[in-house]
Amino acid sequence: MSEWQRKSPLEWQTYVNKEVKVTAAEKHEYKGWVLTIDPVSANVVLVKLVEDGKVCVSVILGHAVQKVEIVNEGDDEMKERLAHLFMPEESKAYGHEELVKRKSSLKTWLETNHIPVTEQGESQRTLCVAGVLTIDPPYGPEDCSSSNEIILSRVQSLIQGHLAMQ
Amino acid sequence: MKVPVSVIRLPRGPDGTSRGFDPNSPRYQALSPISISTMGCGNEADLEQEQQARVALRERYLRSLFAMVGHTIHFTMYERVNVSAFFDASDIDILNFQVSDLQTPLGVHREALLRCSDIISYTFEL
Repeated sequence: MSEWQRKSPLEWQTYVNKEVKVTAAEKHEYKGWVLTIDPVSANVVLVKLVEDGKVCVSVILGHAVQKVEIVNEGDDEMKERLAHLFMPEESKAYGHEELVKRKSSLKTWLETNHIPVTEQGESQRTLCVAGVLTIDPPYGPEDCSSSNEIILSRVQSLIQGHLAMQ
Repeated sequence: MKVPVSVIRLPRGPDGTSRGFDPNSPRYQALSPISISTMGCGNEADLEQEQQARVALRERYLRSLFAMVGHTIHFTMYERVNVSAFFDASDIDILNFQVSDLQTPLGVHREALLRCSDIISYTFEL
């Protein structure tokens, strides 16, 4: 395992949002802004902003990284841009009453399908399914959180079916 | 006296009880680097900070993988081999990439599995 792969997550984090030059195996060199470094494989994800808003992403595999040099510390603007890259689009903003209606409608649908669901959290905004999955507003399939993939997938399909019927 | 019923024990999944990334799973031990990087035994606050860093870094990487799906990726491999393909999926330990329509000098492979240990870098445009 190379020296790069042996670094700790906190050390890797010091490179994020900075512009670096990476020297890799077989004399390859890459330059770009560090979006992230995967803690599992130590892969370095570099982003280069090309003309007309396009983005070029280069990822150097952790085992091939020989040297990483910081060439630019970067600024807040770059940090913001990188933070929003790959993030899902902001969902349409729903009003409070609309959200309550969506929540009740979903809760009823789940109960009709014999799935135990409770409301929890401050102001009871979050739905909790069988104690292992939570659904946050606006209660779409992407708003589910669970460590159990099977239940996650089942509930997501149910929600999708429910929304399709509206 | 009742005759006991024989019990069939089904084999466990590769990751034991969970499907999460498990550094102790036999598969990970066999196929990837010897240890997962960590500061080892630090105090609790430091370990928590380290785990927060790991979470933030991993989330961004997973989202970057997700963004690759359906795009054409160019892979730079060892021995000056360059190929391109549509990205389909990665395994949880980032040891293999599943791709389709892999363009190689020998022809196009409809479906293929690329070993990450053979890849130096990969790039795509968004």
